[in-house]
Amino acid sequence: MHNAVRSRSSRRVNDPSTTFPEECTVTSTSLPDSLIATLPGSSYTDPGIFEQEQERIFESMWFCVARASDLAKPGAFRTVDVGRESILVTRARDHSIRAYFNVCRHRGARICTEESGEVKRAFQCPYHAWTYDLNGKLVAAPNLTKMPDVGRTEYGLVSVATREWLGYVWVCLAENPPSFEEDVIGEVVGRLGDVESIEHYDIDSLSVGKRIVYDVKANWKLIIENFMECYHCATIHPELTEVLPEFADGYAAQYYVGHGAEFGEEVRGFTVDGSEGLDRIPGVAEDQDRRYYAITVRPQVFINLVPDHVIFHRMYPVAADRTIVECDWLYLPHVVESGKDVSRSVELFHRVNQQDFDACERTQPGMSSRMYAKGGVLVPSEHHIGAFHDWVHERLGTHQQ
Amino acid sequence: MMIPACPLADLPRGEAFRLEIDPPVTVFHTEDGELFAIDDTCTHQDASLADGWVEDCWVECPLHASKFNLKTGEVDAPPAKLPVRTHEVVVQDGMVYVRLSTTAPNLPHCVARKLAGTLT
Repeated sequence: MHNAVRSRSSRRVNDPSTTFPEECTVTSTSLPDSLIATLPGSSYTDPGIFEQEQERIFESMWFCVARASDLAKPGAFRTVDVGRESILVTRARDHSIRAYFNVCRHRGARICTEESGEVKRAFQCPYHAWTYDLNGKLVAAPNLTKMPDVGRTEYGLVSVATREWLGYVWVCLAENPPSFEEDVIGEVVGRLGDVESIEHYDIDSLSVGKRIVYDVKANWKLIIENFMECYHCATIHPELTEVLPEFADGYAAQYYVGHGAEFGEEVRGFTVDGSEGLDRIPGVAEDQDRRYYAITVRPQVFINLVPDHVIFHRMYPVAADRTIVECDWLYLPHVVESGKDVSRSVELFHRVNQQDFDACERTQPGMSSRMYAKGGVLVPSEHHIGAFHDWVHERLGTHQQ
Repeated sequence: MMIPACPLADLPRGEAFRLEIDPPVTVFHTEDGELFAIDDTCTHQDASLADGWVEDCWVECPLHASKFNLKTGEVDAPPAKLPVRTHEVVVQDGMVYVRLSTTAPNLPHCVARKLAGTLT
């Protein structure tokens, strides 16, 4: 299992043999072998960099916008900011998911201003009453019959690509969307080893037992980086470390391919006090039982799998220093319908979230300190975050060397 | 005056046919199989009732949701205040005809002025 760990213990920090001759000529910014650099502080504070990320990451990649069951009926809608755009997501009469730019084709007014709701038949711009059906077609407007040359499809709402997977709606604003299979499903396969491992949890048929929305005053990358490492676990997550004792070693479940962190011997369930959880999801395999798996689907989804529930986070970056995180706790439908007490189950990761987001908020102000202008360092158990940073550079076209 | 609209076969239940005359008239074929003709233009603002939504014996204007009774022309609630005219529908040999009402239409302000020749 440790073969995935690069240079974890192969070199000791003070071992003179690790000093390469060229390092002698390198400036004082060269780092000991144990450490690699983070992104500079400005990467977490600069509105210009955030705008680049909006354009080249959030508006270019598949972005998870809603639980499909939140759009159960035709006409149910949700508006979500994706990058710099407001996107209107709805369900058409044929029950297919549709997503449109939330911008009237006439004079550009925002069509839906509510975060969610339901229309009976059509979306109507509140400015001049241009009216669009659920398929986006322009169905009515004042004087429209006097303008027979105005194409009702041509001047309909502009749609964006949609996919449903794991019971969630994903959209992509790119003109030519990248492969969903490679970019989204591929991330899960890269973490778990295969797609069947996540299919065992039957996530699309689970029910939302609890949803909590967190308004985090921190850059989205701080949240992703936090989710990726467990060096902090023993310090800020006492309850989680009780349930998953190996987390005290500081190696996150995300460090190894296909590895799930095992529950402690005395632990009966993934709950705040280690007490019994809820009914186990039937498809979960024997070797997945009593284990916790974590997956980051770049750029904004974080999934936790435990035998009796799934925790599904979506991050909605709002500004360089603010991110809304929406988190669902998903259980078997009968668990939710019967009103079983899921509070101890929810409380464990809710506490983890609060502890994590407090830490991120504590970190955000330091990002603009002059002391952090060149950034900080990653220890070996965090070195895989370096690959995330390389990826950010690559997306922004700012790769050095 | 009897005006031919369309073959009945081209007007399935739930559909509407807009006669491009001045002022325009729309024939509605309801889900219950009844045929009605009323002025197509909402009396509040220039909107085509043919683009509206029919439920029971009422058509809802697609713009501001006033509903007009297909049988009587009456309006249920503002913003429209005046009724639309109703016209007789005749089906002969599979063809739908409309016998136009001879009363004055209740058109929205600007359309009425246009018809009066004061607005170009």
